Amino acid sequence: MQSKRHYIGAYVQYAILAFAFLGPVLWMVSSSFKNNVDITAYPPVFLFKPTLKNYLNLFRVYPFAKYILNSFIIAGFSTILGLLMGVPAAYAIARFRLNSLAFLTLLARMAPGVLFLIPWYIISTGLHLSGNDFTDYSSLILAHCVVTMPLIVWLMISYFESVPIDIEESAVIDGCSRLGLFFRISLPLSLPGLAVSMVLSFIFSWNYFLFALALANNSTMPLTVIAFNFIGEGSADWGGLMAASTIISLPALILTIFAQKLLIKGLTTGAVKG
Amino acid sequence: MSAPSIKGGGVASYPRLRKVKRDDRITGFLMVSPAVVFTLAMIIFPIGYAVFLSVTKWAPGSSAIHFVGLNNFGRMLSDHVFWSSFRVTMILFVACLLIETIIGIYLGIFLSKDIPGQKVLQAVILIPSIIASVAIGMMWIQILDPTLGFANYLLSVVGLKPLAWLANPDTVLQSLIIIDVWQWSPFMALIITGGMRTLPSEPFEAAVIDGASKWQIFRFVTLPLLRPVVMVAVLLRSVDLVRFFDTVYIMTQGGPNNASMTLNVYSYLQGFNYMDMSYGSAIMLFLLLLVMLISLVITKLRGRTS
Repeated sequence: MQSKRHYIGAYVQYAILAFAFLGPVLWMVSSSFKNNVDITAYPPVFLFKPTLKNYLNLFRVYPFAKYILNSFIIAGFSTILGLLMGVPAAYAIARFRLNSLAFLTLLARMAPGVLFLIPWYIISTGLHLSGNDFTDYSSLILAHCVVTMPLIVWLMISYFESVPIDIEESAVIDGCSRLGLFFRISLPLSLPGLAVSMVLSFIFSWNYFLFALALANNSTMPLTVIAFNFIGEGSADWGGLMAASTIISLPALILTIFAQKLLIKGLTTGAVKG
Repeated sequence: MSAPSIKGGGVASYPRLRKVKRDDRITGFLMVSPAVVFTLAMIIFPIGYAVFLSVTKWAPGSSAIHFVGLNNFGRMLSDHVFWSSFRVTMILFVACLLIETIIGIYLGIFLSKDIPGQKVLQAVILIPSIIASVAIGMMWIQILDPTLGFANYLLSVVGLKPLAWLANPDTVLQSLIIIDVWQWSPFMALIITGGMRTLPSEPFEAAVIDGASKWQIFRFVTLPLLRPVVMVAVLLRSVDLVRFFDTVYIMTQGGPNNASMTLNVYSYLQGFNYMDMSYGSAIMLFLLLLVMLISLVITKLRGRTS
């Protein structure tokens, strides 16, 4: 009886939270399936005949598949590079108490993006680096590592710190080397953290807007920048705008729903708890 | 926990010879070096370059260098748009951080309870934090549209007058705060829920046995244990908030009438719209100092617990 009443209160909160946080997103998605008359109707209409016209237009009028691919290339490679650099660094910082280095990496997360963007822009135009797709992608991927790597380091430090030193100590007594401790003990025990880092870093990179705004050209432009250009065109094409923003949101939604299971499973499977 | 534990951690605690410890340090050094080299090349060097730019007059296409000393910084003092951007940046930072931390702790604890459907809710409320800010901007431009937006429809349903939201200098900041809180509180909650799951259960059991009230458990057990995790979330969020850029640039570009101009947006406009990269760099260096100061304070607070 007690717990049942408890649940009713919780479910009322569930409903309020779901409405507040999901409402605007559902409104965006539903608007993307409306035709021009329904989308500009006031008061707003909730029931309408859905149309795919807005989506078809995007792919017909713009090379939208290319923009989607660009976003995948930039977010994917900057996540991989960020993990390769960030995870070993986080382990060493956590185990050797290299707090000054932690601060150095934090500098990357603290500095405002425009601060790097101006020198990068001047240097890359000065060296005539732009114009070639390979160098353009590379510079965008490297730029996005400034987003991913520090995020990964900071998330992984706390996960590595939560791996009990006792386990490592017994392994050292058994003759395990430092790299062995990292690869065989701390890393496997921090897999949930690795998953969280990977997912968040991919999403942050996918979403990141500023660097590509100034560094991307027409053929390397990711979804975020082309979508912003749609707003800039000042078109009254609400349907097209909402379809574009739905497409931008889609992979991140799928990824998080998938990673949510992984994340919860990983976090509940504790290491030394017993 | 049966292993005989040698408290303190770090290299010193391993029962090994000094030579092994030295090798251990070399391994540690090698592990951090890629990240350090990257940071030096992509972050430290550009910051140095920005310092150089800030004391010169840079013109597009010209390779001539004119040193102007601290002129760019002096210009900031008499630039009223700079000061209003500073004010707006601090208002957004304080208001958003405060509200997001409170909602984040509430949501984080609420979501860590084993109530059926909790996983689904966690996924649902996380959606605003994981969607690109460009999409956020576009969806809220439509929702807050003064003539056909859903927000004004809601106001009319409850009998309130419609607002101009982003188009009015008096309501633009409140609108941006609402959007930011909506967007980022779940992110805070995610980190805090993660922290809740790693907390030991003994202190909670002990508190219950001692007859502590719900509020007492929250105030004297949950909150102190959660503090390191909350501080990480606060640090990550502060650093982004002081550099408030995306939604402002996407939705208002600092307008109307500079009412939503933040330091980050102002310097981007100076650098890339007016091509005054030197003045843009000077403003950015000021912003960097501001972010560092705030982060330092939070890191000190965080360090105090361990």
